Amino acid sequence: MQELNIIPGTLPPECEALRMEVREFVAKELGDFPLARRVRNWTGGDPDFSRKLAAKGWIGMTWPKDYGGHERSTLERYVVLEELLQAGAPVGMHWVADRQSGPLLMRYSPKVLAPRLVPAIARGELFFCIGMSEPDSGSDLASIRTKATRIGDEWSITGRKVWTSGAHNKHYMIALVRTSEGSQRQGGVSQLLVDMKTPGITVRPIVNQLGEHDFNEVTFDDVRVPAENLIGEEGEGWKQVGAELAYERAGPERYLSSTQLLKEMIDEANPQDPRQAVALGRVVAQYATLRQMSLGVATMLAQGLTPGLAASVVKDQGALVEQAMPDLAHDLFGGLAEPGSPLDLAMRYTAMAAPSFSLRGGTREILRGIIAKGLGLR
Amino acid sequence: MSDSMIEQSVARIFADNVDKAVLQAVEGGAFADRLWSLVTDSGFHVAVASEAQGGIGQTWGAAYPILRGLGYWQVPVPLAETMIGACLLSAAGIEIPEGPIALIEQGHDSTLTVQGIGGAQTISGRAKRVAWARHSPTAVVSLAGGALALVDLREPGTTHATARPNHARIPSDDLVFESARVLALADVSIAGLSLPVWTLGAMARSAMMVGALEWLLEQSVQYANDRVQFGRPIGKNQAIQQQLALMAGDVAAARVAATVAANDAASPAQLDASRTAFSAAVAKSRVGEAATRGTSIAHQVHGAIGFTHEHLLHFATRRVWTWREEFGADSWWAERLGRAAISARSEAFWPALTDRHYQGGLT
Repeated sequence: MQELNIIPGTLPPECEALRMEVREFVAKELGDFPLARRVRNWTGGDPDFSRKLAAKGWIGMTWPKDYGGHERSTLERYVVLEELLQAGAPVGMHWVADRQSGPLLMRYSPKVLAPRLVPAIARGELFFCIGMSEPDSGSDLASIRTKATRIGDEWSITGRKVWTSGAHNKHYMIALVRTSEGSQRQGGVSQLLVDMKTPGITVRPIVNQLGEHDFNEVTFDDVRVPAENLIGEEGEGWKQVGAELAYERAGPERYLSSTQLLKEMIDEANPQDPRQAVALGRVVAQYATLRQMSLGVATMLAQGLTPGLAASVVKDQGALVEQAMPDLAHDLFGGLAEPGSPLDLAMRYTAMAAPSFSLRGGTREILRGIIAKGLGLR
Repeated sequence: MSDSMIEQSVARIFADNVDKAVLQAVEGGAFADRLWSLVTDSGFHVAVASEAQGGIGQTWGAAYPILRGLGYWQVPVPLAETMIGACLLSAAGIEIPEGPIALIEQGHDSTLTVQGIGGAQTISGRAKRVAWARHSPTAVVSLAGGALALVDLREPGTTHATARPNHARIPSDDLVFESARVLALADVSIAGLSLPVWTLGAMARSAMMVGALEWLLEQSVQYANDRVQFGRPIGKNQAIQQQLALMAGDVAAARVAATVAANDAASPAQLDASRTAFSAAVAKSRVGEAATRGTSIAHQVHGAIGFTHEHLLHFATRRVWTWREEFGADSWWAERLGRAAISARSEAFWPALTDRHYQGGLT
């Protein structure tokens, strides 16, 4: 159970100076950024904002300068992320590339793909999406069927991916595909870099229950990509994806998605109303704890530890707290918020978005299965 | 003492000297004299008192394993109370008396007035639910305004105690003072530490609850792996696994909240009190929630055997239910935190999280 022990972290002084710099930037750039867009948080994107962040050196912060990075510490990056997320900044365009695609390329294709693409990611010009889930492969990712066949010095990809966020407005996908004929489960899968402009790709929108277009179904019909687009070793895709999911689960975005609704509730509440004070005080305690847990995981990562279980715990706990926000808003202010008011807007948006919080990046049930194994349940 | 030295001696003393017989004897009204001697011989009771007053001069962060250990091994002695009393007395420059020290916060579960001037003050009024009072020769009373009074509980005719039952069956008394003698009176010289007894008490109870919850989680996992039904261990069922995973998440959150509260708690070795109240409030609220859900899951996993007196489970769950109430229940601390958050408005929400402090404190 030692793996579940999250050691609270302490930020070095340079992080606090950077925090003030980010707060100034956010105040200047997002002073009149409308709530309707803030509530979307990291699922909302703006290429111009991404480029402004890049100009500050806040994309690819920890990457080597050779790849266009800035060689800052992982804790400095953490501070920038948490400050942007709590403000509801539109970081969605570069989020995936900064979080996982860039690191993946530098690690597994350091000489071929990374030098070509990573500097553009760091400039905030190149955006990525993730091709993992398929129509018959959701939580059971090892059952994917999209296949890639080697033909000369190319791969030919045929199959279908779903729930692909941003396939319609990102430049590249990193797709998990089956590269070995007749292979089963975790064996024989690989990761391929796919330019989304390649012929044979069809992107069909899947409108979500908010009425928004974020998800897509992506069909590959003999899509040809160069052999050098293989990321890492052929057949090692499962292991690589595992490392990628660890990045995906560990970050502060896992507890800072409903923050705008909480802020609206705080502004609407009356400090002399004990029912509201108790309810919101509990939430402040939950967020304060989650922040310490998330910072603890970041600190452990910075020390070279691999707190995979702890990250799963933070994501599970984060989703619980975040999903409770619309229900709490209903409990305290349901039917009372002025139609069209900021509280009303935040309530309606977050209530509709909340079910996704325990689905994306690993469902609650999958995460708890991982935690249970970590506890020693056999 | 280094952290690991404290941890090692905590484990050695508590693991070997707390068993069902001691727990039952204390719940039956006895005082665990031998256990208390072992604890005081090790210096745990003055771990956070200043060296100037004969203490060890540790921070609450360094002493966290002691508090956590009180919960993990369900140690039935007034150690947390005495540690807090000795810490505050030493901060006020008052000599630390022999024996257990009971704790009272004026105006919180108590209505008290101090009479007299100079060296001849007395205290009168009532205090409710004072843990271990009947076994404590003295009490530390934190007075509104920042002063600290050391009160004699043993002077004949001046203190009347009535037992107040609780889930844990740990001694707790309602006290009536009739001109009880104040042995010493001085200001706690830690700037900005408001409600010191309740704040440090909430921090300590949070750490103790975390210890008990960690023990409950370990016991529940063990039981789920051992208990066979339908031809396999019940822990193979996803329904059980999901419950225990949820409990593990709650315990992990509670541990972080309690650890941060201990790290932020002021003492003679750490005079910065700016984060003490915020982090104690966060911990008591968050750990209280984990206690509510965690005890329920531990009992559910254990089934009927965990509902028997014979089984040890209830010694931990009953303590958690009592500690959840003491020094302000989770809802009491949540209300203070919520009032501060609402009064400071949304723009202060995030800075308060990163600073662990609300301008103007908690009211």
